[in-house]
Amino acid sequence: MSELTQLKLEKIDEYRFRIPRSYKPGMRVPGIIYTDEKLLKDIRQDKALEQVANVAFLPGIVGASLAMPDIHWGYGFCIGGVAATDIAEGGVISPGGVGYDINCGVRLLKTGLQYEQIKDKIEDLVYALFSDVPSGVGSKGDIRVSAKEEREILVKGAKWAVEKGFGIREDLECTEEYGAIEGADPKAVSDRAYERGKAQSGTLGSGNHFLEIQVIDQLYDSRLSDSFGLELGQITVMIHSGSRGLGYQICDEYVRSMVRCLEKYKINLPDRQLACAPVKSPEGESYLAAMKCAANYAWANRQCLMHLTRKAFERVLSQPWEKLGMYLVYDVAHNIAKIEKHNVGGQEKKLCVHRKGATRAVPAGHAALPHMYKETGQPVIIPGDMGRNSYLLVGTEKSSETFFSTCHGAGRLKSRTAATRSIDANALLKDLKSKGIIVKASGRDTLVEEAPQVYKDVNEVVDVVHNAGISKRVCRMRPLGVIKG
Amino acid sequence: MSFPKDHSQKPYKLLEHTADIGIRVKSKNLKGVFKDAASAMFDILAEKQKRKILAQKTLSLKQQAANKEELLLAWLNELLSLSAVKGLVFHSFTIKRIDENNLEAMVKGEDSRGYEIKTEIKAATFNGLMLKKSGSGYTAEVVFDV
Repeated sequence: MSELTQLKLEKIDEYRFRIPRSYKPGMRVPGIIYTDEKLLKDIRQDKALEQVANVAFLPGIVGASLAMPDIHWGYGFCIGGVAATDIAEGGVISPGGVGYDINCGVRLLKTGLQYEQIKDKIEDLVYALFSDVPSGVGSKGDIRVSAKEEREILVKGAKWAVEKGFGIREDLECTEEYGAIEGADPKAVSDRAYERGKAQSGTLGSGNHFLEIQVIDQLYDSRLSDSFGLELGQITVMIHSGSRGLGYQICDEYVRSMVRCLEKYKINLPDRQLACAPVKSPEGESYLAAMKCAANYAWANRQCLMHLTRKAFERVLSQPWEKLGMYLVYDVAHNIAKIEKHNVGGQEKKLCVHRKGATRAVPAGHAALPHMYKETGQPVIIPGDMGRNSYLLVGTEKSSETFFSTCHGAGRLKSRTAATRSIDANALLKDLKSKGIIVKASGRDTLVEEAPQVYKDVNEVVDVVHNAGISKRVCRMRPLGVIKG
Repeated sequence: MSFPKDHSQKPYKLLEHTADIGIRVKSKNLKGVFKDAASAMFDILAEKQKRKILAQKTLSLKQQAANKEELLLAWLNELLSLSAVKGLVFHSFTIKRIDENNLEAMVKGEDSRGYEIKTEIKAATFNGLMLKKSGSGYTAEVVFDV
């Protein structure tokens, strides 16, 4: 396949490449891609680099339009992109820079179990999880909420779930923003969005969303893994989900209304999907308040999913989850915009940081960290594909250059249509089984579209962020059992 | 409505996109483009499973937008949203009235439990959105976030 993008990049070092401002008139800052030469060949196959350049048009953008090594072609923003805008300088917020699945994110639970102890129970656990955790398109959950409660979820986030008995207070300590970002205003959410989200609390969703039983197969830093209570052979569980229909509806409504803002605020952009408004404008403030509602809903959702996971483990292993040591390591958002303070050119600035398929990664000592992670830095959870690995990393000081951001996963390599054409579901299941991986999926299409070969190798992606110094490897997991939505 | 397995029989073409799904539809008039784009979207989303027809519902729908491209997006996203909220898969689309800014339609949907939901479509996006006159008719391209 020939390279689609002939764009001439400037090589800064082994892991940083620049799209100069001169590439397109209208770019306010350069683009910087975190990658190596090998991954760059794949990145050039689609229009992702063009999208990095387009994001550089956003009013108020500071530093650079950034892309992580898992970058791929999205809609408007590339997936794997980071853009920070200076609020005091008319910086904008863009719903497309967050995406439809607001606060899509991932959480990692550890267990006190070793692989050898439960290797014969993995299949039972997979079936129990598949039956107890609602998954698939538009799935509806057993955790039903009233209209009043739904408004509470939008403000309280994961705290709502814990108050309902779906978890413990310590879970909130181990969740980004403590499971509820401040400033959510349910009045900014339309009735339709409420309706669309109503029945989906405690559901996994579909597509790339999953629940995975894993085993730690590699330790990179024994001091850090000790601090997190992680060791070789230990069983972990990873949950990947988002805000479901509520987020989709909020994003759709605000993208369409913000297209009108482009004229109103005289903003010139090469792609309407980047539609935006100044953070300090009625439209910007309203979107931010609604986006925070969806973010909180997603944290409540992942908390409910974790509760159902703990209960499924209890049922199969006949022990309470506390005895099984099923404690949350951390939960991160990877589709979100947040108002954060950063040092820009020696000055502290209030920025709106868009992370679209990117993860916050703050270093040790950062004010956003709970006390137990003050010395380690923020745990960063990087899911891979269902056949290879996932990672736990931590944030580093060096990631100040990316507004404390790093990659979010492996990143897609092949289209869904290409996957459907070339991959046979039965052969895929057989191959995964031969590697000791049991998979249950709601549909064959999902299975094929999410096959390992449609993703980049997460090991290569993580090598880049580790070697570039914007996060640090702690340990690696490999999948044993996968539930695909 | 039955969904033929062979893509060559379908009134739309799939466009390659790394993460998402794009479609191209062609029709001799705007009504046809809007109808075919909606059919394509639900063809990607669902496949009829049960022979028995479950509960059917007909809804009337009005949309307004600043131009015909945005009207197409509003139409598709309204259908997606209604489909999720009402638990229906829409299979019949009658565009009663359409101009550059307004649309009135009747849509018929069936209980989604009679379908295998294949691909969750989050939304139709502005990315690469195109609707233009071409030769004797209209061509539209839409990218869905899936």
